Amino acid sequence: MNKVVSIDAAPGSNSLAAFDVERVRRDFPILKQKVYGKSLVFLDSGASAQKPQVVIDAVRECYETYYSNVHRGAHFLSQRCTDAYEAVRADIAGFINAPSENNVVITSSVTESINLVAQTWGRKFLKAGDEVIVSEMEHHANIVPWQLLETEIGITIKVAPIDENGEFLLDSFKQLLSPKTKLVAITEVSNVLGTIVPVKEVIRLAHAAGALVLIDGAQGIVHHGVDVQDLDCDFYGFTGHKLYGPSGVGVLYGKAEVLSAMPPYQGGGDMIEKVSFSGTTFKEPPHRFEAGTPPIAQVIGLGAAIRYVSGLGMDNIAAHEQGLLAYANSRIEDLGGVRIVGQAHDKAAIISFLLDGAHPFDVAAVLDRQGVATRVGHHCAEPLMDRLGVVGTVRASFGLYNTSDDVDRLIAALGKAKDLLL
Amino acid sequence: MSIPSAQYEDYADALEMIDDEDMRFEYIIDIGKKVKDQDFPEDWRTDDHLMHGCMSRVWIIDEVKDGKHYFRGFSDAIIVKGLVAMMTGSFSGLTGDELQKIGTDHVRRLNLGALTTQRQVGMMAMLETFKKLGSAGGGTVAGLRSANA
Ligand SMILES: Cc1ncc(COP(=O)(O)O)c(C=O)c1O
Repeated sequence: MNKVVSIDAAPGSNSLAAFDVERVRRDFPILKQKVYGKSLVFLDSGASAQKPQVVIDAVRECYETYYSNVHRGAHFLSQRCTDAYEAVRADIAGFINAPSENNVVITSSVTESINLVAQTWGRKFLKAGDEVIVSEMEHHANIVPWQLLETEIGITIKVAPIDENGEFLLDSFKQLLSPKTKLVAITEVSNVLGTIVPVKEVIRLAHAAGALVLIDGAQGIVHHGVDVQDLDCDFYGFTGHKLYGPSGVGVLYGKAEVLSAMPPYQGGGDMIEKVSFSGTTFKEPPHRFEAGTPPIAQVIGLGAAIRYVSGLGMDNIAAHEQGLLAYANSRIEDLGGVRIVGQAHDKAAIISFLLDGAHPFDVAAVLDRQGVATRVGHHCAEPLMDRLGVVGTVRASFGLYNTSDDVDRLIAALGKAKDLLL
Repeated sequence: MSIPSAQYEDYADALEMIDDEDMRFEYIIDIGKKVKDQDFPEDWRTDDHLMHGCMSRVWIIDEVKDGKHYFRGFSDAIIVKGLVAMMTGSFSGLTGDELQKIGTDHVRRLNLGALTTQRQVGMMAMLETFKKLGSAGGGTVAGLRSANA
């Protein structure tokens, strides 16, 4: 992945010819608005990204022209809607380079994707004493589902550590692997620190120890391209709303042989082959795991989002964001008095920070009044906060539509926070 | 009812006079900055005095003198500290019965637009805490009682 691209042009302009951020911004109607009379600087894409017009249009077009339930009706609209819906499954497969669309399970979020694995694969294949390794940087969505199994089945959760800089400690991880390790469930990118975990190496090591690997790609897939076959992960989950798509839709990729061995998740319509009171048979994956009416319009919207980011090019997006990250880091350093929490060598464009002498809630509130939207708190990663010894952080997370101008506004707002709070 | 508290009127008048939202916001910060650590000693900041359901920690204590409640509060965030100071200052010196009569409109006069919904909810929660302390005490005991009483 393209690491360091410096933005040395004047603030507000963009030196990357392949990626015209001013043109990109025009695709996002919400960014034009003012908040508290100031133009909006949206630095909270890590929580949920804004939607380009093509996504909004795709959802609207679905409802206006061909919406119908899928996989059911024997009529024109249902066929058209089913075709559009299933075409997105193929688009998703292409986007992450899955071997086939049958590897792609549609869920409601990455949270559901992870719970699905825990409740189906986990309940079938894990027994008391088996170990699941997570990292210290996990979002609660990749902790609590395993804790449920800890309580119910008696599995043990092992936690792979990070160092003070938020660097994933590969050697310590290696030492946790043992014949008892059945699954490594790990984030690709920390939603708090931005740390990019060397997942390919993690997967190789885990496989060598006989364990499967689930990647929580919620923050990974938005910042760089993903190739699940190259990674060789067994599961990969992500969530649509962080990838500039609608909320309410997520994805679980699984290897074919792993998915086929898994029992259904929820029971209901659409996941069965035949239902009778003497016995019900289930469809093959991925439909086996998709009970009930799926989030149809959201899937259509996700398809549009995937085409949109693919059109821009994930490498271009990554390069643009890396440029912003480098620029923001240097401006924050120049400003002084701000501690960046998470200084891993390989980072996505997520910056958690603390203003010395100020409470993060106060800082975020002052930034907000300057029109700069950030997130503050524990970011659904309380164990990580404990590890770092902080109650919370302010987090600026950058997306493809952010500019060096946005960074300048963040710095100016931080200056204001220093004036007001210190 | 009218609130027999000069402080309440001072705060409300000041906020009404400032016609710029950013300035109101800064006014609250200034009040927060005036609250000093020693005004609310460390050993009062116990879980017993913690108000539940706040984004940042808020401690409230209630001192009852001659049947009247005197609240003091603290938070680790300045803006919240400012709001707590305004609330405790405004609604201290009332009897339990008087406290029950304080309405949400009284509180609303103190936050005119400068605050996010979440903070407005926080201020209403503070009012509920005062009322709870007011009804639990009835002015019979002098001393400190916890916010979760
Ligand atoms: C790393 C990570 N995992 C999981 C999630 C949960 O995503 P969702 O709420 O869309 O399921 C998030 C979202 O904040 C995240 O950042």
